[in-house]
Amino acid sequence: MFDRVRLRNLEEFEDPRMVPLGGHLFGACFFLMKLLPARFMLERAVERGQLGPGGIICESSSGTFALALAMLSVQNDYRLLIVGDWALDRNLRRRLFQLGVELDIVETAHPTGGFQLARLERLQDHLRNKPGSYWPAQYSNHDNPTAYSKIAARFIDVVGPVDCLVGSVGSGGSMCGTARYLRLLFPELKVVGIDTHNSVLFGQPNALRHVSGLGGGIIPANVDHTQFDEIHWLSAAEIISAAHDLHKKHGLFMGPTSGAAFRVARWWSDNHPGKRVVAIFPDEGHRYADTVFDVAWVAANIPNWTRTRSEEPITVPSPGVKMTDWARYPWGRRGLSEVLGDGLPPG
Amino acid sequence: MAKKRGTGKAIAHHGELLQGVFEDAGGQLLRGLVSLPCPALTSIATFAPNERDEVTVSPTFCEKARRAASQSLVTFARVRTGGHLRLVTNIPIGRGMGSSTADVLASIHAVLDYLGIVTTTESIMRIAVDAETACDSTLFKQQAVLFAQRDGIVLEAFRKPIPSLNIVSVDMAPASTVSTLEFQPAQYEPGEVEIFRPLRSLLRRAIDTGDVLSLGRVATASAWINERFLPKPRLRELQAIAMRYGASGLQVAHSGTIAGLLFDPVDARTPENMDLAIRAIDALGLSQRTFLT
Repeated sequence: MFDRVRLRNLEEFEDPRMVPLGGHLFGACFFLMKLLPARFMLERAVERGQLGPGGIICESSSGTFALALAMLSVQNDYRLLIVGDWALDRNLRRRLFQLGVELDIVETAHPTGGFQLARLERLQDHLRNKPGSYWPAQYSNHDNPTAYSKIAARFIDVVGPVDCLVGSVGSGGSMCGTARYLRLLFPELKVVGIDTHNSVLFGQPNALRHVSGLGGGIIPANVDHTQFDEIHWLSAAEIISAAHDLHKKHGLFMGPTSGAAFRVARWWSDNHPGKRVVAIFPDEGHRYADTVFDVAWVAANIPNWTRTRSEEPITVPSPGVKMTDWARYPWGRRGLSEVLGDGLPPG
Repeated sequence: MAKKRGTGKAIAHHGELLQGVFEDAGGQLLRGLVSLPCPALTSIATFAPNERDEVTVSPTFCEKARRAASQSLVTFARVRTGGHLRLVTNIPIGRGMGSSTADVLASIHAVLDYLGIVTTTESIMRIAVDAETACDSTLFKQQAVLFAQRDGIVLEAFRKPIPSLNIVSVDMAPASTVSTLEFQPAQYEPGEVEIFRPLRSLLRRAIDTGDVLSLGRVATASAWINERFLPKPRLRELQAIAMRYGASGLQVAHSGTIAGLLFDPVDARTPENMDLAIRAIDALGLSQRTFLT
């Protein structure tokens, strides 16, 4: 009934490998999770006539979304321009360069909106200068969360009814999309989101962050706060040590956001025996071999690396409090203004 | 040697457990459904040949059944054959219970019985879809199927039949009827079809493991998705009754007026729960009946 555009040569890389981690906890291990929403967004853009053959794609990203778009662009003969910043490390830069990506690195942060906003402003210049170019806009594009129906289906295929979904929040696509589809069938599903200290996504004051891939300085429209039952905040040191633990205990060499998901999901699962928990592990660890997995680099770059870490979160009275350790807040599926307004209704 | 007459029988369905848009093996999207069979209601067709070279039917309004019988003769009879087709049914009309499809299928079976021919489910389906525009999946009895009702093809065969269910059946709009032919099929947005992926996954698992609760969750989700296209009055009230009395789920005819509360026959509390639900439905002023499948 619909003639669908299919850019599926890399589809085999999209589905996560589901690994049991003891109890009723499963890790959904992605090769590169962003391949799924990137592919889905491009297909829909072609169907809507926003992206023509050989067209130019422009996006702001300093991480895996850029890589996913670059791989898909090579496969499908698109040209790609990426606006990035310092977080785009040397290895990834080299890869993007080899994939023929035009890279524009923003050197100075926006006075209030940080690098994220500076990147978005620079991107607008490029879009103006390249008429007809397509901006996937992963932070606001509804096709981003929509793509995750496939992941919700995969979780059901392997796990059956899911009781709890745990994962870090960046664009909001994976967590809010997967949660929305699972809740259609399991309304009592618990959704546990993970952010990092000094990220504004769930109400921390904006300040310097030491880890990328989750949190941020602006709130993406795709973050639907009303999906979350609980929010946890981890420091960079806690996230990185958790990634090491996931490797040491289960042999899974995954990136820092996977570590974050593992830390919180393990705790949640141990405290809710019998509940089926799925944790999202968005990418593999190879990209971080010289950083997150290099102890010398970590000791030199990550604050409080040698400090003893807590085994469980401290429940905080409000998301805005000063945090130094693992913090938890019962979000209760409320909107952001509802939570930050100290219980007053929004508006 | 052909018989003097042939008879055929087909069952009704109680709407669908799931209806939507699904990917075929090649990744293209087709409309599909999983009917909920209702063997208590049947259509029985009798075909008797005569000297005329066309097929007549009684009751006379069963034109699609007549066309199906006629097409079956063209396809399978070695000589041009006419005759009279007679249909007896207890399936309510215009409720979304497949009365018309059952007439068509019973008529095809009656002709095949008369000719002494055994053929494939697929070729029966093809004639039925030609006569009826769309068809249901009640013909598949050994295992449940996800069926492309407008293309007459099986999108997916599940490992088992649909598990036994107790259905409290409610007609939500007794005064109106829905015609399969006139009913405009749901126009889904391209992004909206994604919703059916997790439903298909849970349905597959529910059928393969005989999990009535999961089956009910799929049916409930599908029922609410359909509200955008063919809303049922008072569905929210029925849902509240389903939840209060431990029904596994709510289920509807996606192109009809009936809805059902699904109960697990294995659950020891089901008889009492059904009793309470029936009283609550009566109190709403809606009429109900019970089917055991």
